[in-house]
Amino acid sequence: MLTISTKEKEKTSPLITAVQKYTVELTKSSAASWSSQLRQKSLNNFLTLGVPTIKNEDWKYTNLSALSSINFKPIAQGKFSFQADVKRLIKADEITLVFVNGLLEENLSNLGAMPKGLSLLSLKKALAERQTEIENLLKKYEGVFEPAFISLNRALASDGAFIHIADKTHVEKVIHIIHVTQTAEPALTTPATYIFLGKSAEATVLETHVGYADSVYLAAPLTEVSLGQNAVLHYCKAQSESLKAYHVGNTRVWQERDSHFDGFALMNGGDITRNDLDIISNGEGTSSTMNGFYGVNGKQFVDNHSSMDHRQPNCTSNQLYKGILNGSSNASFNGKIFVRQIAQKTNSYQLNKNLVLGADCKVNTKPQLEIFADDVKCTHGATIGQMNEEEIFYLQSRCISKKTAIKLLAHGFVGDIITKIHNPSIQDKLNILLEPTFAALE
Amino acid sequence: MIEIRNLHAGIEGTPILKGINLTINTGEVHAIMGPNGSGKSTLSKIIAGHPQYEVTEGEIIYEVNFKKINLVDLSAEERAREGIFLAFQYPVEIPGVNTAVFLRAAFNEICKHQGVPEMDPIDFDEYIRSKMKTLDMDEKYISRAVNVDFSGGEKKRNEIMQMAVLNPRFAVLDETDSGLDIDSMRIVADGVNKLRSKNNAMLVITHYQRLLNYIVPDFVHILQDGKIVKSAGKELALAVEEKGYDWIKEGK
Repeated sequence: MLTISTKEKEKTSPLITAVQKYTVELTKSSAASWSSQLRQKSLNNFLTLGVPTIKNEDWKYTNLSALSSINFKPIAQGKFSFQADVKRLIKADEITLVFVNGLLEENLSNLGAMPKGLSLLSLKKALAERQTEIENLLKKYEGVFEPAFISLNRALASDGAFIHIADKTHVEKVIHIIHVTQTAEPALTTPATYIFLGKSAEATVLETHVGYADSVYLAAPLTEVSLGQNAVLHYCKAQSESLKAYHVGNTRVWQERDSHFDGFALMNGGDITRNDLDIISNGEGTSSTMNGFYGVNGKQFVDNHSSMDHRQPNCTSNQLYKGILNGSSNASFNGKIFVRQIAQKTNSYQLNKNLVLGADCKVNTKPQLEIFADDVKCTHGATIGQMNEEEIFYLQSRCISKKTAIKLLAHGFVGDIITKIHNPSIQDKLNILLEPTFAALE
Repeated sequence: MIEIRNLHAGIEGTPILKGINLTINTGEVHAIMGPNGSGKSTLSKIIAGHPQYEVTEGEIIYEVNFKKINLVDLSAEERAREGIFLAFQYPVEIPGVNTAVFLRAAFNEICKHQGVPEMDPIDFDEYIRSKMKTLDMDEKYISRAVNVDFSGGEKKRNEIMQMAVLNPRFAVLDETDSGLDIDSMRIVADGVNKLRSKNNAMLVITHYQRLLNYIVPDFVHILQDGKIVKSAGKELALAVEEKGYDWIKEGK
C-alpha cells in the first residue's frame, strides 16, 4: 500500500507531469515516426521507474527529493549574459559547437573547414537522417537496464550533437561541444550527444556544461559513445553548471574489439550532481580509462558512479578519481567493475582519492568488484584524507607559508590528474573551469 | 652564528631533548652522532621549526644581519627565509608539484624577505641550471614533480640541489647519508663540500662515521638521551665507530 501511494505521489510531482506533458508535445506532430516512438517508449520507461529515491541502493546518497517540488519548464531562449566567460573556452583552431539553452548559437560556433570523414549534425537532423546508426546502437543495449534519467533524456532531447567519424579517419582537431544554460525560471534541459567512431578512427571530444550563476535548472544530458574496432576516443566531460543547478548526467560507452576509450570527467559545478559512466567492453583487447576530478564547496553534493562491464578476455581498464571537498560539501564515489566468466586476463585498476579540507564534509566511497573469471588482475582502493602535515612542513622549511603550501599542495593534487589528460588544450580549458575550485582554497 | 642554550623539547608531552647547549660559528661544520632515539632528528626538526614539536625551555639564538633572534619565536617558513635549511632524512614526495616551480616560489620568498626583486621563470631556469651543473645533476630533477619516483639517493641529491639554490647560512643535514651506497654518498658529500664556505655553517647529523671521511667536521658531538655528553674533534667519530657509545656514558 505504501509503495503504491509513494508512486502515486511521484507520478503527480510537477517534474513527472512536466516530462509527460512535454514529451506529448514533442511527439504530437509526427506520432508515427521512429523518433516519436522512441520518445514514447522512453517516456513509458521513465514513468515506470519514476525519479529514483534514496531507498534505491544505487541512489542511496543522491537525494533528488528537492526536484519533485520544482515547477520545471522546458528550457527557452533567453538572455545570455556571460559570453566573455564562454569565449575563454573557445579556440579558433578547434571545431566548436555552442548550444545556448539547447539552441545552436552560430555566432560562437566554429564549424568551418570540416575534416574529411567527419560528419557533424544537429540531433534533430540526425534523428531524421541517421536513424539506422542510432537504432543499431540502441539495439545492442536490449536487455540492459535503462536508468530513469537516460529515458528522460531520450523522451525530451530536442537538440544536441551527432558526431560520426569514418573508418580509418583521424580527426586531429578537438571537437568541443559547449552547453550553456541561463534561465530566469526553473527549466529542464536535456542535451544529447551521439559519438560514433568507425574502425581504426580516432578523435578527441570535449563536452562542456556551464551555467549562469543563479540559474535554477535540471540538466539531464546523455552521451552515447560507440567505438568501432581499433578506434580511439579521447573524451572529456566537464561539468561547471550554475551552483543552483541539478545535473543528472549519463554517459554510455560501447566498445568493440581493440578499441580504446580514454575518458575524463570534471565535476565542479551544480548544487547536486550525479554523473554516471557506463562502459561495456564487447570485444577482446579493449582498454578503457576512466579518470576524473571533482571539487566541491559550500553545500554542494557530487556523486560519481561508474560501471565497467568486461565481457571479453584480454582487456584492461584503469580508473583514478580524485576529489577535493571544502566547506560542508559531500561527495560520493561508486565504481563497479564486472569481470564476466569469459573475460580471462582482465587487468583492472581502480582508485578513488579524496582530500577533505572542510570541517563538515562527508565522503562515501565504494569501489566494487564482481569477478567471475579466475585468471584476472584487479586492484581497487580508496583514500580519504586531510592535507599531509609532513608535506606542509616540507614546503614551510623551504620558505613557503603554510597558506601557500596548502594551496600549492591542492594544486598539485589536482594537477597530478589533469596532466594525465591527453590533449593540452583540454587541460587548459579545465584549468579555466577549475578557477572557482582553486579560489575556494584562498 | 647559532647558539643553542639549555634547549628542552619534546612531542606530545614526552620530553626528548633535555638541555642541549651548542655553539656553532660561521665557517664551521659540526657533526652530531648518537644512538637511535637519542634525539638527533628531533634536534634537526626543532631547529627547522616543525610544528608538532614543542620547546619547553631554552633558546636557539641565531645571529643574522648583526641582530640576534630567537628562532623558537619564528614559524618554519620565517626561519627558512632567515637562512635556515634542513636537508630531510626522509624527503617528502609531492605529486603534481613541479620542482622548478616549487623552488622558484621558495627562492622568491627569500627575495621578498630581503627586499630584492624576484626572479622571473627564465632567469630562474638559468640560475637553477647553473647550480645543477655544479652538482652534476641532470634535467629530470627539475622537470618532474618533487621527489616523485626518485630513488633514495636521488631524493638526497635533490635536497642538496635545493640547498644550493636557496643558499642558506645555516644548514642542518639530517642523516643525509643513511641508506646510500658509497657512490651516492660520495656524490652527496661532494655537493655539500662545494657549498661549504666561510660565510655559512653546517650541522651534519649522522649514524655513521663513514660520511665524516668525506664531509670533514671541525667538531663532533655525541648526543645521548637528549643531551650532548661529549664533544671533541673529528677523531671522536672514529672512536665511536670503533667502540660504540657505551664507553662515553660510563665516563671512561
